[in-house]
Amino acid sequence: MPGDPSRTLLPRGGGSPSDTFNTTTLRAILTQEWGLDKPVYVRFGIYLWNLAHGDWGTSITFNAGSDVWTIITPRLASTLIFTGTATLLSIWVGMRLGLFTGWKRGKFSETFVTMFSLVTYSLPTFWLCLALILAFAVAIPIFPTGNEYQLNRCADSDIPCILLDRMYHLALPLTAFVVNNYAIFSLIMRNSLTEELSEDYMVTARAKGLSERQQVIRHAVPNARLPVVTVIALYIGWVFSGAIVIEAVFNLPGIGLLTYQAIQYRDYPLLSAVFLLGTLGVVVANTVLDILYMFLDPRVREA
Amino acid sequence: MGAYVSRFSGFFSRERSRSAWHALVSMAKVLLRRPMGAAGTVIILIFAAMALFAPTIAGPYPNYATGANVSIPFSPPSPGFPLGTDHYGRSNFALLVYGSRVSLAVGLTASLVAIVLGSLAGLAAGYYGKIWDQIISRINDFFLVIPWLPFVLVIVAVWGRSFTTIVLAIAIISWPTTARVVRSKVLTVKTLGYVERARAIGAGDGRIIFHHVLPVVVPLIFANMILTIANSIFTESFLAFFGLGDPAQVSWGTMIQTSYDASRIFAGAYWEVLPPGIAITALVLAFTMVSHVLEELINPKFRRR
Repeated sequence: MPGDPSRTLLPRGGGSPSDTFNTTTLRAILTQEWGLDKPVYVRFGIYLWNLAHGDWGTSITFNAGSDVWTIITPRLASTLIFTGTATLLSIWVGMRLGLFTGWKRGKFSETFVTMFSLVTYSLPTFWLCLALILAFAVAIPIFPTGNEYQLNRCADSDIPCILLDRMYHLALPLTAFVVNNYAIFSLIMRNSLTEELSEDYMVTARAKGLSERQQVIRHAVPNARLPVVTVIALYIGWVFSGAIVIEAVFNLPGIGLLTYQAIQYRDYPLLSAVFLLGTLGVVVANTVLDILYMFLDPRVREA
Repeated sequence: MGAYVSRFSGFFSRERSRSAWHALVSMAKVLLRRPMGAAGTVIILIFAAMALFAPTIAGPYPNYATGANVSIPFSPPSPGFPLGTDHYGRSNFALLVYGSRVSLAVGLTASLVAIVLGSLAGLAAGYYGKIWDQIISRINDFFLVIPWLPFVLVIVAVWGRSFTTIVLAIAIISWPTTARVVRSKVLTVKTLGYVERARAIGAGDGRIIFHHVLPVVVPLIFANMILTIANSIFTESFLAFFGLGDPAQVSWGTMIQTSYDASRIFAGAYWEVLPPGIAITALVLAFTMVSHVLEELINPKFRRR
């Protein structure tokens, strides 16, 4: 069977048959213990039953035998801090540039910025990370090549030192993330601003004698922002994918790196736990954004 | 129905297929007139030429038996080896040139599979509606929302590394975008007068879908195919970087992976890491640029200004 998880724990080959614990018997024991001898639907039923009782599974490679949550919890904070900051930064940069390009549509500056956004969007994330490391950690060694903090640099109680140290180590990963992802938001902001600018109420705004700046900022932008909010919810999964790569290359101890390692070691219980967590994250994010949408769009609030 | 319709019900009946063909040709003409579209097309053609004439450009594929294009492992750039050699001593330049074949093959095949799947699903969901729409749209939502990277990594890790599994994994993750746009277009097209007229004179579902609805959707499908090619090439490079590329072929992602795994970047071996990445970016960018222009052509709101 390809991807058999027992392969990661046991060496290949059979061992001597007289030995009680030769690998063939051990593999049989593990197969039975993990329920791999049962059909898929039975295993899925067992999984759901355990889940309903709060048992998300048992990791088979990280501290083998421990509950997956003991492995996930310490990494959750790291990922939330990194992806949270990175996503907010990307949205901010994206909206700014989208506003600029939507406004200056058809001019040279617009073409240039849009072109630049398409380039950064097309950069493979892993390569962007490597290029940043090459440039700013190897050629000009001013930033660290990875990790989340430097051991023993700060005392446990020295909060400002810890924060600075973390920011210093997250500088390159954050740059990689923002450069790679802001284009999603800027292109959507630009498109939706273009659509708003062709609406009839913009003619009214011009007829009222508002300056071009007032027309755009006061009338078009608030409406143009709405589609961006919808898109953010759709891109949570995308953000998670980017985080996996960046955490893997920069060796940040988060959920992304954990997912990658779980795939490598065929740790299926851990993997399904992380997947379920990711899916829940998407659902929660969608709900939060729906509620947020209500505050942003009065039409939805009244309906 | 009966004999009369079945004689003419083929998709390539002259009148309709010509209109779809004309739409594609006029789209291509406008595309080439836009600087961004023309630039993208030129870059794609350069890479296509690179794939076709690889032996002329870089010599034979690196081979130990004949010693062609092979030298000392990890040697720095030299006249015969402009980008040095990899961990097996193969010429990086030759691998880079031949790598365009892998990327184009994976990109085109995967997007073709995804486009066929997505178009059929979109047509079915949009045309038949009701329960079909519900089922297809819910599956669609699922694939649109889940993180694509761990998904393809798991599929290829479990099914094994090969060209087929990589193409299938990419197709499975990319069909929903096409299905979605095709569906919404079909929803508007099927209410148009000429479709109702066709139904009134007794045309069957198959004839209406492939004869009256599909030709209208073809430009949209084409634009989506270009974008899917870009995404497929992009995704393949990620798979290769995580060691899940096709073991039989060296792609650009594989080249970066071998260099990275040997920690060559800390030795400052930029000639190994930078060129393959630039190649991936350029090819993905070219397809993205073309699709960007096509998107503006299809959306009439953008054409106005």
